[in-house]
Amino acid sequence: MNWARISSTFFDVTIWLYLGAMVLSFAYLAARRDRLWVLARVVTIAGAAANLVSIVARGMAADRVPWGNMFEYSTVLAFLVVVGTLVIVEGVAKIKTLTGFSLMFSVLTLAVAAMFFPVEPSPLQPALNSYWIKIHVVAAITGSSLFAIGGIATILFLLKDRSERRALAVGRERVPAPIMGGAVEVDAPHDLLPDPEGAGGAPEPRRGGVLPSAAALDRVAYRVIAFAFPIWTFAVIAGAIWAQEAWGRYWGWDPKETWSFVTWTIFAGYLHARSTAGWKGRRAAIIAVIGFISLLITYYAVNLWIVGLHSYARG
Amino acid sequence: MTTSAAPTLRQSVALVWRTLRSMRTALILLLILAAAAVIGSLLPQIPNSPERVGQYLDDHEFWGTMFFRAGFFDVYGSWWFVLITALLFVSLGACLFPRTRAMIRAVRQRPIHARELDGFRHHAEFRVDSGPDEVAVIAARYLRRKRFRVSHEGLGVAAEKGVLREVGSLLFHWAFFLLLLGVIVGKGTGFTGRAVVTEGETFVDALPNYAGQIRTGRYFGGDFTGAGLQLLDFDDSYRPNGQPIDFVSRVRFLDREGRPTGTEVIRVNHPADVEGLRVFQEGFGWSPVVEVSLAGQRLWSTAIEMARDDAPEGVPATAMPWRGAIKLTAPQPDVMITLELWPDFRAFANFQLTGEPTSMLGQFDPYIRYSVYTGEIVDPALSTIDTTGLRRIGGSDLHAAGTSTFDVPGAGELRLSFLELRQYSVFLISRDVGIPVVLAAAILVLVGLIPSLYVSRRKVWIRAEAAPGGALVKIGGFALQRKDAFEEEFDRIVRGIGGREAVEAQPEERVRTS
Repeated sequence: MNWARISSTFFDVTIWLYLGAMVLSFAYLAARRDRLWVLARVVTIAGAAANLVSIVARGMAADRVPWGNMFEYSTVLAFLVVVGTLVIVEGVAKIKTLTGFSLMFSVLTLAVAAMFFPVEPSPLQPALNSYWIKIHVVAAITGSSLFAIGGIATILFLLKDRSERRALAVGRERVPAPIMGGAVEVDAPHDLLPDPEGAGGAPEPRRGGVLPSAAALDRVAYRVIAFAFPIWTFAVIAGAIWAQEAWGRYWGWDPKETWSFVTWTIFAGYLHARSTAGWKGRRAAIIAVIGFISLLITYYAVNLWIVGLHSYARG
Repeated sequence: MTTSAAPTLRQSVALVWRTLRSMRTALILLLILAAAAVIGSLLPQIPNSPERVGQYLDDHEFWGTMFFRAGFFDVYGSWWFVLITALLFVSLGACLFPRTRAMIRAVRQRPIHARELDGFRHHAEFRVDSGPDEVAVIAARYLRRKRFRVSHEGLGVAAEKGVLREVGSLLFHWAFFLLLLGVIVGKGTGFTGRAVVTEGETFVDALPNYAGQIRTGRYFGGDFTGAGLQLLDFDDSYRPNGQPIDFVSRVRFLDREGRPTGTEVIRVNHPADVEGLRVFQEGFGWSPVVEVSLAGQRLWSTAIEMARDDAPEGVPATAMPWRGAIKLTAPQPDVMITLELWPDFRAFANFQLTGEPTSMLGQFDPYIRYSVYTGEIVDPALSTIDTTGLRRIGGSDLHAAGTSTFDVPGAGELRLSFLELRQYSVFLISRDVGIPVVLAAAILVLVGLIPSLYVSRRKVWIRAEAAPGGALVKIGGFALQRKDAFEEEFDRIVRGIGGREAVEAQPEERVRTS
């Protein structure tokens, strides 16, 4: 059986299914028909299944773990972002409306992988041939996928938060101001703001009205990032241990090391900001978005443009 | 008494100290450190790629000079990077001490009793048939079983859980502090050097033998071990498509007196330890053993460690020839012989015939082309091939085990014998005493991180009052984190001590206490 062929066929199938599922998810956002949601879910799960087949077949073709270069890493990342969204955002947090955006992220990830670093399945170069590839890379992909979900939720939070504020401002103009102390402070923590979906009387904002409440997005973003942070920490530590074995130093300011440290620091800043008065909400969210951008740089820019020891893009 | 507008020295110091003591300062310093690291990843760095720094300086005259002055080409060794690290170190320590004291106090202290219970975010009231003493005992026992820290006084119970959050957070921060310490001490007192050893030869750990390929820490004392490393043989293996499988060096370690202490196999990802040094497989290359005599006098008979030409885009590195030089300063004038080695003659022949590059994955009828120069050698180092000030007087070629002669005008007959082709191995040798500390600290970072993120602190108070036919139980509580999850836990506690269900707090109370 030609595993390489199976893998690349299912890779294409995955992109198309994710694309279809993304369109259906957005259609559900616009139309709010339950049938559309069910259909979108079925296609998403089919896409994830195709993605998994593609990953496994790739591993069989190369006769090793299927995350030895950037192309394979991207395939696994796309899979984990979709599955992570289904399990954590839809399953645990019960937010149905984020999946379309995660699918968009995965489609872009796969498309970039196919365009910029396509490689045939091949054995690993000696420096990568270690059991640490299982530990370090699995942790790095898992952490990245969770940070990506957190990043997506945070960006949506910022959009939604703005529209909620506007709606609130409009509402405040209509309703006479409360007698004591003003209505709601602009800097109040978000779980204190009224929830337009929950409270029936709140005005439906025009823009971003299809999204869940800012408070719900904020909560899920925080939880996912707080879950990702120790995994990322572990990935960096495992990477350092591996670097010590393979390159003779645990830390050498290689571009990948540098950027993973930068990403770690920014998300550490986010977690601190969350527990600091006056930094909750928008300010913390902006830090998380910067962290998300830093993650993308760690992931793409370092491999594509900056020469370093982690330049495995070409195989 | 005079008051001056300018703060006194004492006030300034106090202000600086107060600023350093805040966790926010530590965090900002960490972010500055990250920003500095970004500069280091975007600009070429002298320790990693000096030639790219030179290129940059040539291409960007103004900014290059500015960046150079600011130390941007050696970010991690610059004074301001060290300063930020030192400030971070001090700041982190300064804010951790008081926090640790407070934490120890909080752990030692028994939970404090509250007077008013209906002001809390969660509260409930219910009646039970048993007496108030009994209810308080039941409640205390129940909460202890649920691993709350309980203080039971008469009819009141105060309980709290989740101190582990702060303990974990402090452990995380102290471990990070320790990690920083391990890095500073380890890198500061250690070194990393590169040793090039040809098969059969021995490298001794001493400063001159690193031939400048060494980076020592700021506080490195210069105490090299004098241990020897003899390369017995080197083996590189490839797949048919030219992709490497493994690079393996078999070495014998020798002590200071040159007595063998054991043999080891060093491979990629499998370093060896000797006398506090770690030896890593880093690279390899070819060393032709060439004997040179001039006018019947033998002037040279050792292996020459060759460097491979950089491959142009699209050509495999293994297809490129290797270059080296023999520099003879004894004769008058100086004689320099530059060598171009093709480990596999077929690749050379094919290149001559078709212009197509061919990978050379092993030796096969190795072939050397050489040029002879005379004049005055400016740079006697063997690692460079610099022909300035020299005149090429001719050249020829050689196959393995072959000999070729060449007439140097005014100096006599130059005789070259290509005795054999060996390989050399490049080892990275490092000493870093901080490694165990850094590793332990890294593990503690993770151990502390998990409770500091996932454990939530919550407090519960119970007060029983005598009431006709039993007791009236009041219960209140709140959680500092994970407030949703606490709602269910609170209901469970209420049921656990005999109540039916909690009375939901009013919305406005939520706003007030959360």
